[in-house]
Amino acid sequence: MNELWTEIVNFISGEKMWSIIRATILVFIGFALAKLVSSSINKLLVKKTDTHRMMIIKRGSYYLIVILFLISALHELGFNLGVLLGAAGIFTVAIGFASQTSASNLISGLFLMGERPFTVGDIIRVGTTTGEVLSVDLLSVKLRTFDNLFVRIPNESLIKSEVTTLTRFPIRRIDVLVGVAYKEDLKQIREVLDEVADKNPLCLEEPKPLYIFRGFGESSLDIQYSVWAKRENFLDLKNSIYEEIKNAFDSRGIEIPFPHRTIYTGSVTAPFPIKKVDNNSTDTD
Amino acid sequence: MNDTTPSTSFWWGQYNLSSNQNKKWCIGPLALIVRCLNGEWQVGYERQENTEVCESSWSTSDTDQPPESLEEYARYIFRETTGLLTITPQLADRAVVTRPLSPFSLIAGEEATIYISSPIWLSLSVGQSNKKLDEIGIQRPSDTWFGPSPREGELCYASSTHCRLSLDELPLRTHRAITPLVIQNQADSTLLVERINLPAPMLPLFSSDDGQLWTPKVTLTREKDGDMAALIIDTLPPEEATGATQLNKPRKSTSGSVLIRAFNAVFS
Repeated sequence: MNELWTEIVNFISGEKMWSIIRATILVFIGFALAKLVSSSINKLLVKKTDTHRMMIIKRGSYYLIVILFLISALHELGFNLGVLLGAAGIFTVAIGFASQTSASNLISGLFLMGERPFTVGDIIRVGTTTGEVLSVDLLSVKLRTFDNLFVRIPNESLIKSEVTTLTRFPIRRIDVLVGVAYKEDLKQIREVLDEVADKNPLCLEEPKPLYIFRGFGESSLDIQYSVWAKRENFLDLKNSIYEEIKNAFDSRGIEIPFPHRTIYTGSVTAPFPIKKVDNNSTDTD
Repeated sequence: MNDTTPSTSFWWGQYNLSSNQNKKWCIGPLALIVRCLNGEWQVGYERQENTEVCESSWSTSDTDQPPESLEEYARYIFRETTGLLTITPQLADRAVVTRPLSPFSLIAGEEATIYISSPIWLSLSVGQSNKKLDEIGIQRPSDTWFGPSPREGELCYASSTHCRLSLDELPLRTHRAITPLVIQNQADSTLLVERINLPAPMLPLFSSDDGQLWTPKVTLTREKDGDMAALIIDTLPPEEATGATQLNKPRKSTSGSVLIRAFNAVFS
């Protein structure tokens, strides 16, 4: 019994005791300081960032300070920190693997910001989604589609795939595809189309409208007539040019044909036999 | 009721409208009807498709036809109206691209004088303080692009008439302004002139005593190979305009010599 008491007294009056006391004091100071710092950061930034970010900063700073003081307390107690650091290293690698996509998005975002293929306010098309760019953030780009839906596109997919910026250049071409009946005169068609383009004030005189004969189609002669317009007038010109072409064709009797099918009887085109049926002789029962 | 003979040979100037009076102007292809009510101005206008009508003459008359019967119609509300309407002609708000009847070449060191006709806008303003109502184009010229590629350049108007080498060949119309343009080729290479870009917003507007609208003489000096030229605009009206008075200042003011892209800008 006495030996045990002596041992305890020796221990209390020894070096080890002081280090334990110091460590405990450090831990308490740590907790108190962490609380103080996090609440003062909260007061400072409460108006400047939203609540989500606020919470992250507050918790982050609290735990950071607590961990720092815990580490120094452990160091006081004489623990070998090397082992702890090793464990922390392995932990970091595991986190790294898990956050692969987020890191990739972050890096892609930085590259996108540097390259600037589009800016806030441009209209872009990614895959099948077309919309106006609302913001270019670290991890993603936010779009507003024309039917007022909010779309979030991760930066990674923007770097990897094709992005079309519709508002990059000031003028835009409209490709009008029209088919005319085989019996029509191509030269006349060309003149009519040029006249329609000339009359329309939204259609740019230069670059000159482009006439391309696409080929002998199944039921019609396929023609592509490409006209240029100021980007803002694109929709107006598109609607007006189709209407004007139709009216011009109608007034000149130029036919835009429906799909045709020609039916032959066997190898010789003998006329089909047709029997005329009188309406009055139909059976009523 | 139709009094079609104008009192002066100019369609611009001040007009006094009594309350509920419909006044109609026919200037070139434009038909304009204005009515002044108590605290309100009503403006209606439309352009006729066939531009052969009202070629060089213009007319103004009182009419029973209301402004709202025309295609474009607008109403302007004021605290009080005095019936005083001022019509001022204005040059185009964009550059005007014009082409010669067939392209011609200017050898190095040579000079050519051509005459360009550009479209005019009507500026309507009311009251003693000249409060502007609207600007109406007498013709709606076609848009066109002038630049080395579809990526860079500027949006301009395409002139509906060709530029001419002689003033006699240019039909004089009261709703178009004439610009004498001198092209000097001081570069080493031959300049093929297929299209010319006239910077209309930088020009002031004058009228001669016979009712024709003019701008001062413009000199384009091509100093180096390429499409760029130094632009110099005279301050005085051209000598072809007799008894000229200034009607308007330029829309955009420039100081000294400016370098502009003036020729060709050909691209496929």
